[in-house]
Amino acid sequence: MNSNKKFILMITGIITVVIFWISWVSLNPADEKAMATFVSVDELLEDNITHRTKLGGLVKDGSIVISETNHLDCVFILKEGDLELEVKYGRTRPDLFKDGAEVIVTGLYENGVFHADELQTKCASRYEGDLRNEKSYNLSEIDS
Amino acid sequence: MDIIKEYGFIIIFFIMPVIFVIQPLFLPMIEEKKNQLSVDGLKRKKLLIYRQIKELEMDHDIGNINESDYKLSREALKQDVSEIITKLNSL
Amino acid sequence: MTPIAGSVALNLAFGFSILTVLTLFLYNKNGDERLFLTGQRLALGISFFVFLATFILAYQLVQSNFDIDYVARYTSLETPVVYKISALWAGQSGSLLFWLFILSIYTTIVILQNQQKHNSLMPWVIITLAIVQMFFLVLTNYVTNPFKPTDADFIVSNGNGLNPLLQNVTMAIHPPTLYLGYVGFSVPFGFAISAMINRDTSPLWIQSIRRWSLVAWLFLSIGIILGGWWAYRELGWGGYWAWDPVENASFMPWLTATAFVHSIIIQEKKDMLRVWNMVLIIITFTLCIFGTFLTRSGVMSSVHSFTGSSLGPIFLTFVFSIMIVSFGMMYFRRNDLRSTKKMESFTSRESGFLFNNMIFVVMCFAVFWGTLFPVFSEAIRGTKITVGPPFFNQINIPIGLILLALTGIGPLLAWRKTGKKILIRNFTFPIITGLIVAILLLIIGLRGAVVISFSLGAFVTATITTEFTRGIQARRKKFNESIITALIKMVSKNRSRYGGYVVHLGIVFMFVGFTGHAFDQEKEFSLKVGESNHVAGYNFKLIQMSETERPNHYAWISDLRVTNDEGKFVTNLHPEKRIYFHRNPDPNRRQPHSELDIYTTMNRDIYSIFSGVDSENSVAFIKIMVNPLVQWVWLGGYILVFGTIVALWPRKDQ
Repeated sequence: MNSNKKFILMITGIITVVIFWISWVSLNPADEKAMATFVSVDELLEDNITHRTKLGGLVKDGSIVISETNHLDCVFILKEGDLELEVKYGRTRPDLFKDGAEVIVTGLYENGVFHADELQTKCASRYEGDLRNEKSYNLSEIDS
Repeated sequence: MDIIKEYGFIIIFFIMPVIFVIQPLFLPMIEEKKNQLSVDGLKRKKLLIYRQIKELEMDHDIGNINESDYKLSREALKQDVSEIITKLNSL
Repeated sequence: MTPIAGSVALNLAFGFSILTVLTLFLYNKNGDERLFLTGQRLALGISFFVFLATFILAYQLVQSNFDIDYVARYTSLETPVVYKISALWAGQSGSLLFWLFILSIYTTIVILQNQQKHNSLMPWVIITLAIVQMFFLVLTNYVTNPFKPTDADFIVSNGNGLNPLLQNVTMAIHPPTLYLGYVGFSVPFGFAISAMINRDTSPLWIQSIRRWSLVAWLFLSIGIILGGWWAYRELGWGGYWAWDPVENASFMPWLTATAFVHSIIIQEKKDMLRVWNMVLIIITFTLCIFGTFLTRSGVMSSVHSFTGSSLGPIFLTFVFSIMIVSFGMMYFRRNDLRSTKKMESFTSRESGFLFNNMIFVVMCFAVFWGTLFPVFSEAIRGTKITVGPPFFNQINIPIGLILLALTGIGPLLAWRKTGKKILIRNFTFPIITGLIVAILLLIIGLRGAVVISFSLGAFVTATITTEFTRGIQARRKKFNESIITALIKMVSKNRSRYGGYVVHLGIVFMFVGFTGHAFDQEKEFSLKVGESNHVAGYNFKLIQMSETERPNHYAWISDLRVTNDEGKFVTNLHPEKRIYFHRNPDPNRRQPHSELDIYTTMNRDIYSIFSGVDSENSVAFIKIMVNPLVQWVWLGGYILVFGTIVALWPRKDQ
């Protein structure tokens, strides 16, 4: 009986500690890049959100400008519906990054420009060939 | 030829599996094998306990168990085995 | 074989699955053995039709019959035959059929294995498996049919072709292994459900699923490791694990399954933890279904890509039904599940297992929490917040280290309870080893989790070594055997035990590899021919850059000469920039791909990516990463597989 109680106490203890740990990390992540709020371009522009955000959209055709000097820095226009947003990105670009590509960028919005430090394109595990250029992409599906 | 071509796959697809499946229903009543069932179970149980005794002995040889614990556990396991053997003999 | 035959086969399989369930229900009511035989054969019939459908689809893929939508979407005339077959699991409907195919293989094996054994659990096992099959048959028949014809107004002369990233041997075998793991847990789950319904409380049914669980666990492990290996070699971001929802979806059932393969040992040997094991297998199976759903439905906030799909609600309904039915059943059988035996002491093998189990489940919960964080945060705060790798790492590193410690502690504890004397004797050497390593690392200037991880690794290795040497010594004393004979006999008489230790050793190796991640360095730069740049003690000089056209792509090949700080030659690296479908008139359909090149040693990998090219000025854009100890992860993987095979190797008396 006694040892049984001890076990129950121990188990409850572990669970409490873990729940505390998980919620603590959830509230105070050590790394500023640990979290990002998913917003639409509309929300970002309207509320002028300056903390770390994640945006999804299409790369506007012909908008990609790549630096001549180091080839890394790049500027492009992200389109979500009719809204457009200038995005700056300075790291190696994924192979599938090109005009019209569906991308997700993560970074900070400052003075009308979105400074992205992460840029993701369509993932291989879900490569669904489109036979007639149908747009299976739909922003409402990103996160539902 | 045409008939075979046209109906060939239906035969493979349908008739053969159906015959395979309903064939047992035309067998004479099969008697229950409950007895056999419990004998098999008991035999497996016996084997399991034998293995536990072996492992216990090994742990004892290595020195992971102290003497009194070893004797106690071994006795308990032996008790279980002898019960199973009695049951097996009575069947 | 016409494609229509495929649809017919799938429909027949669905019909047979309904009949199987009905017949076996009837058998459970009236006990007529003939009905059981028929039910069994009906279940084999489901598998037969599923096999047929799968082969027909594979045949159509190989034949490039673009009248089938699936074939046109995932293959082209140029796709090599191997990858035409692997296209079977490249897309949604095909992979669901493939899931079903594997489940049918397993079902067939279970039925044939138990035909002569008069196992009283079989009827309900078959019913459970048939219901799972039925679910996937509904999906492949009526929701996302792999045999759907291409739209009539649309003539396809050539298909889309398989994504070049997937045209890779690893990627051809990674999904099947993962599926073999996912699907494999259906069998233990079926036995668990059946045991509950039959009020079977003996440890026997546990023994009969131990092997199955280990097989499924092995495949799941291999699948996860291969996925990491593929990501590392192909995706070109320099890592093998990104805490992506799809990865997490395979990691979560792995965690609970690992807990399960540990805790069933206690039920088998001590008849404890009945309820706990039931909970674990139900959760594991549910997570496997959930994982398939996450990977294939696109419902989760996977930041990668999205396919509009009607699968979501159906899968969720199925997942919830499994949970409600299984846990409901547990409630009604709570009296049968009550164990008679209790834990006696904290310092016992049993409690070691219990704690290891709790930590695994806790870790699973943490991963689950992070994966669904966007959903939770929206529900609580109204904003969708996604969490990245730093979040997962921060949460999981301490939990992982505790697990690593338990890996060492558990096996040194005795069943029932461990006396003080034995505790001191067993732990002195490992603790001293760990401490020495820790002190050495502190002296050379390392701090933090890295030190803990390495010294725990040393501690666990020491415990494993102790276990082996003690066992060998004991045998030598008792039977007067040579070291080799003693080792072989000891292992072959206690396969699961010593196989398990080998697996633990593999895990230690993997942890060493994970820890190496803390020292990763990377740099991106551009180089003209003849120029060089410097990263982490290595010098990279672009010797030349060439261009070539190959059958299915165009490539720029760089020639990088790597030297170390002393100027000594290390290696030549040849990362490539490729354009697939380069002859396609529509530039948007051409697909660039960076083929990376890696120089590996046990100490570090030099990882090079040719990220871009300016052919006018012959400038190459290179990304270099120096990743220490990555090889230990793969080596650990091999050890893990070897250990599991040792544990699984059948004994003569089985």
